[in-house]
Amino acid sequence: MSKKEDVSNLIVKGKAKLITGAVQDALDEGCEPGELLDSMIEAMDVVGEKFKNNEIFVPEMLVAARAMKKGVEVLKPLLAEGGAGTAGKVIIGTVAGDLHDIGKNLVAMMIESAGFEVIDLGVDVSTEKFVDAVRENPDVKIVALSALLTTTMPAMKNTVDVLNKQDFRSNIKIMVGGAPITQEFADEIGADAYTTDAASAAQEAKILAA
Amino acid sequence: MDVFQVTFVNENKTISVKEETTVLEAMRMAGLSADAPCGGMGTCGKCQVKVDGALCLSCQERIEEDITVETLQREKSHRILVSGTKREVPFLPFLSVKNVQIEACRIGESTSDWDRLCLALGGTAKDYEPNLSVLESIARILREHQGKARIVLRGDRILDVRPQGAAPVRMAAFDIGTTTVAGYLLDGESGKELASASSLNPQTEYGADVIMRADYCLKHGSEALADCIRKQLGKLLKELCRKDGCVPEDIFQISIVGNTCMHHLFLGISPDSLVHAPYNPSISCPLILPAKDYGLEIYPFGEILMLPVIAGFVGADTVGCLLAANLEEEEKMTLLIDIGTNGEIVLGNKNRRIACSTAAGPAFEGAKIACGMRGAEGAISHAHLENGKVKCQVIGGGRPAGICGSGLIDVLACLLEAGIVDESGRLEESCPLSEDGSVYLTQKDIREVQLAKAAIAAGIRLLVDKMGISMEEISQVYIAGAFGNYMDPKNACRIGLLPSELEDRIVPVGNAAGEGAKLALQNRDEFARARRLALHTEFLELAALPEFQDCFIDELEFPEQTDAIRQEKRKNGY
Repeated sequence: MSKKEDVSNLIVKGKAKLITGAVQDALDEGCEPGELLDSMIEAMDVVGEKFKNNEIFVPEMLVAARAMKKGVEVLKPLLAEGGAGTAGKVIIGTVAGDLHDIGKNLVAMMIESAGFEVIDLGVDVSTEKFVDAVRENPDVKIVALSALLTTTMPAMKNTVDVLNKQDFRSNIKIMVGGAPITQEFADEIGADAYTTDAASAAQEAKILAA
Repeated sequence: MDVFQVTFVNENKTISVKEETTVLEAMRMAGLSADAPCGGMGTCGKCQVKVDGALCLSCQERIEEDITVETLQREKSHRILVSGTKREVPFLPFLSVKNVQIEACRIGESTSDWDRLCLALGGTAKDYEPNLSVLESIARILREHQGKARIVLRGDRILDVRPQGAAPVRMAAFDIGTTTVAGYLLDGESGKELASASSLNPQTEYGADVIMRADYCLKHGSEALADCIRKQLGKLLKELCRKDGCVPEDIFQISIVGNTCMHHLFLGISPDSLVHAPYNPSISCPLILPAKDYGLEIYPFGEILMLPVIAGFVGADTVGCLLAANLEEEEKMTLLIDIGTNGEIVLGNKNRRIACSTAAGPAFEGAKIACGMRGAEGAISHAHLENGKVKCQVIGGGRPAGICGSGLIDVLACLLEAGIVDESGRLEESCPLSEDGSVYLTQKDIREVQLAKAAIAAGIRLLVDKMGISMEEISQVYIAGAFGNYMDPKNACRIGLLPSELEDRIVPVGNAAGEGAKLALQNRDEFARARRLALHTEFLELAALPEFQDCFIDELEFPEQTDAIRQEKRKNGY
């Protein structure tokens, strides 16, 4: 169906203003919401792949992810209970002392685009808040932590320390990321995974949740 | 532990180092300034040198035998902006210099030398706080100079008593930027500027940006960075004095402006609160402190005036700019932007002012750009289209070695006009900028510029929203900082860094922060005004605004060349 293709193109081009109309057009033409969602997820996968290969960079990722998010909003009420979020639940947040969130939001959008239900705790999230969020969502599969400043890396270490000591630790996987974060640091603090960018994060999430 | 010889070929210096020392460390030990914007992490590539003829990163290269090192002298002379637009104020400093006649004590009287000094100043002992250190001077002046004294006072504190004509009275103002430091020497008796000097901020050794330096302090304490900048100010003071023919001890007062991190680091305050949300300063009020407590060897009882800061990322330098632009009395709605290493923006006038800080990033300083460099010899600083091709202008006129911030803006504007880059920022074909192709622009470079300019553009839009006005209501746009003097306003608007509605009202104001520091010395009311400006300027935390992300993403694109704009430009002969 060409309307479905239109939607995919608009995602790749990041046309957030046009996408809600295009999604509606595709639905009106008879496209199944679930099918449409799948092709949109595929489009985001392509975007993510291009990003990993340095064919496109952060600005294009941001506009594409924003278009995806807007498109999905139209579909959400129409999707059956198992429609979106079937891949599992992910809790994400920027650690205490840090207000930066564009990168974290991009990761959240990519993970959502990969089919997860994302609970975004926002920024400056204390260790307690992360722990509480897991307790309130016992079926959560992944906790993702973001830190953008070298000076807030200690807060990330502290949060992972505390999470590692909880009784629910074996039920969850911990992912970390952010500009100053390295694989070394992730290993040092006992996180399960580290990814360098939003696209890899979404892929890693699928692997961890499997 | 083995020891090896490192010979620096260009500088004719040989030093001995222990094995495992990195070449970068060896350069510092030899007293060579070594640029390491990423702090020695091996990620920026800017510390390249040739070791025994082979190119390598000096921060990663460990010495394990005798070697020769050839530094690649790319950045010889830096284009540092020192002058700013001047505002004339009446000379009413804190410091006053008075030439008086101290009467000798007559036989039969017993008034003290101190009392007669106070009388000579037109008051009594009650009016002045006793200062025992000047007593010997008074006696000598009475004995050898017929009581003709030159007194230096701050308010009711007598700081210095000397024979008239013995030595000059001087003041100095400093603007401590993250990347560059500028200093000015003023005559303490007239306020006239006598000399200026500048240098790179040597704290760059510990990291190119404030976050990296703050991180260093949190891990190792603040002493190293405090010492580093204080020593540099000492060097600049000596240079200023050399130019004028005076000595540092003739300087009675120093004023300092700088961004909040520089302010805290100079004072030896831990930058902890600055780098943890909500990023507030440890202290923000104006300060008057003894210079000797901060390692500045001027007049032993000389003082430092620290201008106030507004927020964690809007510092005394911004306050200095507000002072220079006289925003406390300005009727017209003014937008003041300082595109330095950080990007501070203030919108307002005498009725209300709002400030914000945008993390524009270092793209306009040359970092993160493949062939990027600072504004120094060899940098492409301007460009224009000729027959559809980009023609570049290089600082110093020689072969291009790289491209600096103003050049980036010009080149991007040209590429947009020529259709080589579309409004999403996609580069259609490769973009060499030098004849031999050694300087070029990549797709990634354009993305970096998009991120940087979107931050500033979003900051401007959100301030305008918060102020509740429309963009057209802004009467003037002041661009402070070195960048402002070299940035082409037309091209800045073409790429969407600045709103096109304001293209005809952009004015570079040079080192306005430095001008503010000077004003505070020249007139004590201006120092008080700085306090009021800081107190009564609101701060908008962009990171806490839910609409920031959308606004930022909107501003990533480049403005379209609409038909209407094209026609208008044709009318005006573009």
